[in-house]
Amino acid sequence: MTQPMTQGFLSKNPSVLIFLGLLALFTLTVTVLSNAYGLDLVSTSMVKTLGKTLCLCLIALAMDLVWGYMGILSLGHFAFFGLGGYMIGMWLMVARSRDIVLASANGLPMTPQELNDAIAAQIFGVVGASEMPAIWALAGSLPAQLALVVLVPGLLALGFGWLAFRSRVTGVYLSILTQAMTLALALYLYQNDSGLRGNNGLSGLQNIPGLDWAGQDRLSVWFLWASALALGLGYLACAFTVSGKFGSVMRAIRDDEARVRFLGYPVEGYKLFVFTLTALIAAVAGALYYPQAGIINPAEVAPIASIYLAVWVAIGGRGRLWGAVIGAAFVSIVSTWFTGGRAPDLPLGFYTVKWVDWWQVLLGLSFVLVTLFAPKGLSGLVDGLAGLRPPQRRGAALGPDEGALLEKEARE
Amino acid sequence: MRELLEVSGISVSFDGFRAINNLSFSIGPAELRAVIGPNGAGKTTFMDIVTGKTRPDEGRVLWGERSIDLLKLDEAQIARQGVGRKFQRPTVFEDQTVAENLMMALKAPRSPWRVLVWTPKAADHARVAALAAQVGLGEALSRKSGELSHGQKQWLEIGMLLAQEPRLLLVDEPAAGMTLAEREQTTALLVELAKTHAVVVVEHDMDFVRRLNCKVTVLHEGAVLAEGSLDHVTANQQVIDVYLGR
Repeated sequence: MTQPMTQGFLSKNPSVLIFLGLLALFTLTVTVLSNAYGLDLVSTSMVKTLGKTLCLCLIALAMDLVWGYMGILSLGHFAFFGLGGYMIGMWLMVARSRDIVLASANGLPMTPQELNDAIAAQIFGVVGASEMPAIWALAGSLPAQLALVVLVPGLLALGFGWLAFRSRVTGVYLSILTQAMTLALALYLYQNDSGLRGNNGLSGLQNIPGLDWAGQDRLSVWFLWASALALGLGYLACAFTVSGKFGSVMRAIRDDEARVRFLGYPVEGYKLFVFTLTALIAAVAGALYYPQAGIINPAEVAPIASIYLAVWVAIGGRGRLWGAVIGAAFVSIVSTWFTGGRAPDLPLGFYTVKWVDWWQVLLGLSFVLVTLFAPKGLSGLVDGLAGLRPPQRRGAALGPDEGALLEKEARE
Repeated sequence: MRELLEVSGISVSFDGFRAINNLSFSIGPAELRAVIGPNGAGKTTFMDIVTGKTRPDEGRVLWGERSIDLLKLDEAQIARQGVGRKFQRPTVFEDQTVAENLMMALKAPRSPWRVLVWTPKAADHARVAALAAQVGLGEALSRKSGELSHGQKQWLEIGMLLAQEPRLLLVDEPAAGMTLAEREQTTALLVELAKTHAVVVVEHDMDFVRRLNCKVTVLHEGAVLAEGSLDHVTANQQVIDVYLGR
């Protein structure tokens, strides 16, 4: 045995330490350049964009786990992300509305019933209702809503996954099912009857009750820290999951799930485990994202969002964790630049390319090109820089069997 | 001796074609058995039924001392009961190293929670190394199994089968693609294993079956045509007509 018997998790996975170091460096740099804690070179809205990007990197990690390692092309993970956002948004709205109601009451005494009615009117006036729907029963309690951030998406993933995996739906059919799930959720949320303010969604989420004194410039940095911490912990959890035998089984299921069954592994149980775990990661990412975005509405869980997620992971390089992270970071930051109107127009003489309109075409084209010509995505570029190239398998085979050493390799 | 596996009266049809027709078969806990038969005789379907891949329309498959009904279990549960299978085409996980393939097959808890917290002990590493050495891959532990030659993949799969420590081994054409020396090695291994395990070998190659020197079951059109020593079944006129005579 050349392999040492006892090795720490981190020493076996040096990329984890590199990633955590870079993440810490990034967070520190942004903090030092921020308005609230330093040189005021990065605007508060930019800090928010970067914080949101970290949340997107976290859900990209989840997608890489379920797709890149396990082979389940889920096109519905933004349903869990959105639900996480809705759950924290409910508490934010109720707590904020309570502050507003109490302030406008000017110290006049109110019965709990009156207070509740006033809060309900404040929140639901926009959809012409004044009753607090039953699903808001726990919204006044932060611990309860924080529990729901993981419970609601977790139970949805568990229920959906149990039904889908037990029936052994795989491949493109499963992708369609996941897409149907997120579409159904979006359509449900669009209804005013669903009790989550229909297409208005939840808004004003950037105002954190009790922290008004801090101001958005400081809050934005705090959320950046929280997002970075969540991403770091999520990365550790994912790296732990994909290393060792569990990761081996995951990749084996991706490559040949029938064979894994004959080894005695309950494949459906593994799929359910990973699907639910990644739904939980997505939910936490969503719960951190929407207070930075300030608003959540049903369009956020439309199927297109989850398709973008697959594009990020593909462009970054699936099947390796940091590939998913750089894919999400790169595409969403470039997307912000193009759609923010800051990219210069491209005059072609007969037609002027406005990037706000043409960005999506560019993104779609790059997705196709990456899929065809660079299956490892951006992370393949990093390999190239590091000098790690796949062997050039050219020349005649030395042996009669497929996979035998080829002449060129043998000479090296 | 009490039988380890008892298959009685199973039948299965695919789109009206009767692949298995009232087949009965049994094997003891330490026995070597060769199953032969022409193409389409139902050899692979028979293995599919025992391993849970295919559900029979009727019949019973009983397992072990407590007569567990295998038809009520899924593939993974059957494998955990101690039924190991080697496929005709070598199916190893090509993206993973020889060591990872063997470690995955190694007998250990299989549920997600327990696998997540499971870490290989020194004894597990030693067992993997010993298994690799046994199948001639001792120097290839850290190689991706996709780089191995066809014959080496066959051996790796045999190694994985052994790592599972099954009580019953279903081996589909183990000698396919092997050199003469490797065939002899395989024969010796199977004969040795059959001293403590039940081993069912499906094989086309009559020379190989002769070398196994064991009881032979001849399948034809999904049913048992003859059973006994190789000399006994090859003397059977029906067997000559449907199989050997061609």
